[in-house]
Amino acid sequence: MSNKKQNIRIWDLPTRIYHWLQLLVVVGALLSGFFAPEWWLSYHVWLGYALIALLVFRIVWGFFGPEYSRFSSFIFSPTKLIAHIKAIKEGKPLHFFGHNPLGALMIFALIAVLLGISLSGLINLGGVENQGALAGFVDYASGDIAGKVHLLLAFALIAMIFLHILGVVVEGKISKSNLTKSMIDGDKPLPKGEKAPILRSTLFVPAILSIAGIGLILVVGSISMSKVPASGFIAMPISQTYQSECSDCHIVYHPSLLPKNSWAIMMDNLSEHFGEDASLDDETRDVIANYLVRYSAENWDSEAANNLLLVDKEKPIQITATAYWKLRHAKIDEEVFKSKPVRTAANCEACHSDAKTGRFADENISIPKPKTQP
Amino acid sequence: MRNLLIIISILAFFPAMAANAGSREDIIAQLETLAKADDANFSGFDAKRGEKLFSAKFSTGKPETPSCTSCHSTSPKNAGETRAGKAIDPMALSKTSDRYTDPKKVEKWFRRNCNSVLGRECTPLEKGDFLAFMISQ
Repeated sequence: MSNKKQNIRIWDLPTRIYHWLQLLVVVGALLSGFFAPEWWLSYHVWLGYALIALLVFRIVWGFFGPEYSRFSSFIFSPTKLIAHIKAIKEGKPLHFFGHNPLGALMIFALIAVLLGISLSGLINLGGVENQGALAGFVDYASGDIAGKVHLLLAFALIAMIFLHILGVVVEGKISKSNLTKSMIDGDKPLPKGEKAPILRSTLFVPAILSIAGIGLILVVGSISMSKVPASGFIAMPISQTYQSECSDCHIVYHPSLLPKNSWAIMMDNLSEHFGEDASLDDETRDVIANYLVRYSAENWDSEAANNLLLVDKEKPIQITATAYWKLRHAKIDEEVFKSKPVRTAANCEACHSDAKTGRFADENISIPKPKTQP
Repeated sequence: MRNLLIIISILAFFPAMAANAGSREDIIAQLETLAKADDANFSGFDAKRGEKLFSAKFSTGKPETPSCTSCHSTSPKNAGETRAGKAIDPMALSKTSDRYTDPKKVEKWFRRNCNSVLGRECTPLEKGDFLAFMISQ
């Protein structure tokens, strides 16, 4: 029985739980980010918060966790990294209990990319969707750039996940051990002739205090920051005249949905209003025109207002003729617009429950199933 | 308690209702004066002619709205629907009791809808006939 391989505990239970939870969260976030409809945004965001929580744990554990989880145990000098690569090439790989130098690089890169993805997501959420802790602090343009960074990092992450798996397979072959199994039961075989090293153990008190402290700062901080009014929206009085005159025929469109020139053109041509005469007496017309121009798209920094500034040249007063509107509704079946309860693409409220506010938040979209025509 | 509230509100609105009835008659009287001025032989509004006007199809107005029935449904007793999907209360007075009491509102909708459907203003005779039909329904 002396031939039986001796095992040594490399990955502690919290690190293993973290690893597999992070796999679930990242896969969920990637799937919901790339494939889920817009109104699943909240799930994607909650997965993002979960990812941040996991990263907080991992970083604290990198300082106070047990030996092989500590960053200091897998920071290698360039010389060691080169020696490691050379040894692999020569077919005489060096032995590492924890991460090898290449694997260690991947761990740091993954943590950096995951932090970047969380932060860019939060900035995107605040700037474009006007939600979350940064809603009151980030403008649309910055949020839009952050969204592009978020997407790029997501692609980078997918590539890194494949590299990570490739690394696990290759190192498994070289070291003739099952690394996936090690990440499940925590153990790696102790090679013959090697002595079990003396290990640093977990510093529980600093670890728990750090996690609690950072967690408290993040939770309290983001809750109080999210109380700041969203920067994309301004205070707007309700115009009774606008509401009552215009809602006889259609929903009350938020003034932020068209630029001021479009409102002016529309209000100057009410006798030719989308195929009907909607003329008003001059006094009423002026009150409504002034209101719409005062609160036109130029005055808001919301997602809708920013994108609807660019109107169609031929039909400058028609929201549904804008390139942005068409792009965002391209996947929706024509039947949905035609049949009850939508009836017409102009009926925003049929699917956007917050259309009145001009927000058009992703999670407030609900596309009704078409009913047969009466 | 609920009954009491209903009674109170009926009592509270009774003077208003009476005033409304008055202004509906005023609107008709005003149209009669104008119709007489147009045609010395004018002999009163006719609900039958109003009914014809309501269901007639025109090619002189905007193509989207060839007839009153395009939006108001084919019966004054039914609710209609605007092209933008908003419900329109039935035109018949028996179904929507507060109709045709605000002269400004009546004028506004005749101006808009006659232009949309007929491509011109309606004559006082047409307006009077139309109202006579809706009030009779």
